[in-house]
Amino acid sequence: MAEFSRDEYTINGVKSVVLSGGKGEPLVFLHGGGTFHGWEFAKPWMEHFRVIIPFHPGFAESGDDESINQMQDYVMHYLDLFDALGLERFNLVGFSLGGWMAAKFATQHAHRIKKLVLVAPAGLRVPEAPSTDLFSVPGEELPALLVHDFEVIKPHLPAEPDVDFIVGGYREMTSVARLLWDRTYDSKLAKWLHRVTVPTLLVWGEEDRIIPAGQAPHWQKLIAKAEVKRYPAAGHLVLDEKRQAVDDVAGFLQA
Amino acid sequence: MASTEDLQFYFFHFMPYSDYPENHESYPSTWVDFPNRHFDPAKGKQFYDRYLREMVLADKLGFDALVVNEHHSTAYSMMPAPSLIAAALIPQTSRAKICVFGTPLNLEYPHRVAEEYAMLDVMSGGRLEAALPLGTGMEYWVNPINPATARKRFRESIDILLQAWTQPGPTQYQGEFYSYRYLNTWPQPWQKPHPKLYLVGTGSPETIDLAAELGMGYSSVFVPTKKQNQAFADLRAKSQAHGHEFTRDKAVIMAMVYVAETEEKAVAEYMDHIMFFFKHGLRTTPRYLMPPGYVSTDELKKRLSAPNLHGDLSWEALTDNFRVIASTPDKVAEAIAQWSEEAQSSRIIFNAHLGDMPHWKVVKNMTLFAEEVIPRLRKKAPDLVPRMELAQAAE
Repeated sequence: MAEFSRDEYTINGVKSVVLSGGKGEPLVFLHGGGTFHGWEFAKPWMEHFRVIIPFHPGFAESGDDESINQMQDYVMHYLDLFDALGLERFNLVGFSLGGWMAAKFATQHAHRIKKLVLVAPAGLRVPEAPSTDLFSVPGEELPALLVHDFEVIKPHLPAEPDVDFIVGGYREMTSVARLLWDRTYDSKLAKWLHRVTVPTLLVWGEEDRIIPAGQAPHWQKLIAKAEVKRYPAAGHLVLDEKRQAVDDVAGFLQA
Repeated sequence: MASTEDLQFYFFHFMPYSDYPENHESYPSTWVDFPNRHFDPAKGKQFYDRYLREMVLADKLGFDALVVNEHHSTAYSMMPAPSLIAAALIPQTSRAKICVFGTPLNLEYPHRVAEEYAMLDVMSGGRLEAALPLGTGMEYWVNPINPATARKRFRESIDILLQAWTQPGPTQYQGEFYSYRYLNTWPQPWQKPHPKLYLVGTGSPETIDLAAELGMGYSSVFVPTKKQNQAFADLRAKSQAHGHEFTRDKAVIMAMVYVAETEEKAVAEYMDHIMFFFKHGLRTTPRYLMPPGYVSTDELKKRLSAPNLHGDLSWEALTDNFRVIASTPDKVAEAIAQWSEEAQSSRIIFNAHLGDMPHWKVVKNMTLFAEEVIPRLRKKAPDLVPRMELAQAAE
């Protein structure tokens, strides 16, 4: 399968690394709060789309910017980056933290989005199906919580305790903490989600132990043109666990 | 050997709730999530009464200062509000300085700390010293403050505290975290321009740079002695660039000491309690120690590669890594003189009580220290005369 190519941009003085590959309509993927599980899952999209995976400031190979400490800062960052990439109108797919980011972006810039996919998005406060506070989970217990089948994530974990792996995770958790240590949701998001007017697909693993699938109906209620697909025997990393989910995203965007 | 005539001895109390439940070792941490049902208020009152008596005795024995500090949600310390303990000590003591070492400014509104400390300074007739810690990582799990922005907020808080004390109010302040329309704190400190201030850190370069910039004293806690002394050396070098001199009285070192008639007896009487302190009092998890953003990734890397001091340690590891001694007055005095010289410090914090040490041992330890160790170092007994200016001020 084809590999992604890697490009570096400087956005507001911060190194921003972007993976891309494939031909077709642009599909921008906004990643979640941890990048260690890689991008293998996204490769099938390259058959139909020009897939663009930017690393948020503070994550993976992108540089740090401690002044980015609100979700709105990421929205503004991506306005700048999309300008730099010459992206006018595109499909937007966001996972977990990136799902929240994509949803917030869509409340303000729906006209730039062709279709929206939110994969197990964070951001809503749902007392009936509360999200797990990732800060409360010891780092060594976290990978198992992310998936239904541990074998899926095992290849991405170091065999022996690894200082660089721990430090890399700590750095990304620091970037997450800047955004949402104070509260792990946006109490205003529900109020403004009606601004998301584009066709939207919500993707969820039935066994998601981070952001439970029980939150899906709440999103669906708040976004007018939203449909939901749920996958049994899949956890939070539903795209890594279920190829069908990846294909369904492509199918939804192509339809 | 350098002179030890300028040494001052600070009596420090952690005030722990040391009546741990029998099954306490099944808890990986005695901080943050150690269930508070294990706190019995009746026993808590006994501890407060007893610990306050020990601190008052320290004043009577001639210690130069009494030190209290702040921690939250832990059996390690019963002082989430150290100013309350300081206020309780003021009318029961007459000469020792009262040191609040201290409230992490991030965990309070900075103007409230300016007010509280000014109250203590005025109430004590100018006996207050204060240390400004960032707060341990553990504090950030139980206070609604973001550890990832803690250092910036800390810096802003210090500026507000200093502005409240040194610029005639009302003034204004507009920052990233705080905004004051009328910064006009009443009362104002007794000591001018303000009580002596220290920063407390764990050896991170950011805090050392800040102490150098502000010309404050410095103390690092629970990092190995070598790293502490390196921090002092860095401070001496860096302070000059900011027009400050990092003098001996700005370097505070902490010594865990037990004095007895013989070394064998001292070790035998001390061992269980210091082990309790390290093994159980300081027991916590790496996650609680370093919440996200609390340290830089470079610093995290260093700490992950260093020995874990919050857990099981041998006596040898303790005496190698920290200023720890249990011995005779001669040997203790010798060790302190050496530590003072290595650190170029004249401010020695004496931890007389540790862990679950009973009252009689604390009294024995502090009495022998005051009557046998201090005179060996200063060649005279502690000054027991209440300071005249304080007596006059009281009139």
